[in-house]
Amino acid sequence: MLEVLGFEFFRNALIAGVLASVTCGIIGTYVVVRRMVAISGGMSHAAFGGIGLGYYLGIDPLAGATGFTVATALGMGALQLRAKQQMDTLIGAVWAAGMALGILFVYLTPGFAPDLFSYLFGNILLVPRGDILLMAVLTVVIVAVVALLYQELQAVTFDPDYAKVMNLPVERLSLLLLVLIALTVVMLIRVVGIILVIALLTLPAAISRLYTTRIWSMMLGAVVLGVVFTGMGIWLSYLANVPSGATIILVSTLAYAGALGVERLRQAG
Amino acid sequence: MSAPVIEVDDVWVRLRGQTVLEGVNLAIYPDDFYAIIGPNGGGKTTLLRVILGLLAPCRGEVRILGSRDAAMRKFLGYVPQFRTFDFQYPITVREMILSGRLGHITRRPRRYDEKDHARTEEALETMQITDLADRQVQDLSGGEQQRAIIARALVGDPKVLLLDEPTVYVDAPTEAQFYEILDRLRDRMAIVLVTHDIGVLPGHVTRVACLNRRLYTHDTAEITADMLEAAYHCPVDLIAHGVPHRVFPEHSREE
Repeated sequence: MLEVLGFEFFRNALIAGVLASVTCGIIGTYVVVRRMVAISGGMSHAAFGGIGLGYYLGIDPLAGATGFTVATALGMGALQLRAKQQMDTLIGAVWAAGMALGILFVYLTPGFAPDLFSYLFGNILLVPRGDILLMAVLTVVIVAVVALLYQELQAVTFDPDYAKVMNLPVERLSLLLLVLIALTVVMLIRVVGIILVIALLTLPAAISRLYTTRIWSMMLGAVVLGVVFTGMGIWLSYLANVPSGATIILVSTLAYAGALGVERLRQAG
Repeated sequence: MSAPVIEVDDVWVRLRGQTVLEGVNLAIYPDDFYAIIGPNGGGKTTLLRVILGLLAPCRGEVRILGSRDAAMRKFLGYVPQFRTFDFQYPITVREMILSGRLGHITRRPRRYDEKDHARTEEALETMQITDLADRQVQDLSGGEQQRAIIARALVGDPKVLLLDEPTVYVDAPTEAQFYEILDRLRDRMAIVLVTHDIGVLPGHVTRVACLNRRLYTHDTAEITADMLEAAYHCPVDLIAHGVPHRVFPEHSREE
């Protein structure tokens, strides 16, 4: 079974899985503790609009998705901060409108849209070398920003009112966090696809939360779990010859259900 | 008398088409233990939010130590209404208290130094929660959580401590303890206590005001029947702290 490591596509898949797990663990921790799971779902589906736009303009769909998702994140953040709109309604609108735009753009693009399916459901076994480089750069950026602003992000996600009284730039930090989530979502599209992003972003962090008491330890735990889940998912999908994205998500979900069950027994006993 | 710590100057607030605060004037002096009472929905929390810079008034201004600069807010210690933030958040008591120093850190990126850590240990000591420092905030009892919240406010060396309905969710013994703590803090800072519950005012309050859209002040610690009537617009039975059941006469109905 170790002979598969000899294949470049398999090594690439593992590297992509590790990079995705690092960003997921770090950003997913904020998503879980700040209860932004729905926002992240909205962003990932809005990303489909960007992928469609990429096809339509004839550029790399992932580049289209990056610009489109970051713009959506900033737009949602600004609307929430300034117009005091109800966030779940905004999310609903962005979620559906992004998908609708994507469908229209793909329809308007002449010819066949190659690997459209892999953007929706992910295919980590087909991640090209260029995308791995892009993922590595994004991972470094996200880790650096969080390391630099750890105290500030903790204050803003824990108690934004108090952060404002302490004169921290709460609005800018909140928007920054949304942009980081957007970048993470785009990165994950290659691995598990638009529709499944939300699970990989939140499940490792949610399991890690059960066993940790601090933000940084929760991040660390989530990264380790992410690596385990993606590694197992890739390997199982290779063995069973089934789609990798779906396998990774099902492995994560089973682990989450198991962790919750164990936790329940522990509390009862 | 020394200069006021907080001055609220003709503040008006309209929210969703409703006037919540109307021409509110207020001055808090360094040795004040100021109680602001009033019915629910009377604008008490709104007034605190204006003072804290969380809400911009549509008219009027707030000065802290004579200045309108937002950076002056670091001299305010704020004890929010219990359970206004997420207690499930993975944070230890010590980390939460330490975060109260962020307003004082001028270097970038913000990193805590020895003074910040020393202040945190002092605040833990003052609130008698040193042994809970490494526990998660979510694992504390209600009274312990509240002491941690006050410690976070103290760690920034505030000139004034603003407390919003601090006793709503705590039981009677905890409440008594809580007022003892406030008493100990009085010589270090001014205290502003906001509550709808006029039965709980501790005896050592120096000034009282009633807030119901307008602020009705009185220069002594007495709550007068006039103030209450103006603020509550109805007869109010008052059981004063330490006084065996003092009840105001029922006045004739005006509405």
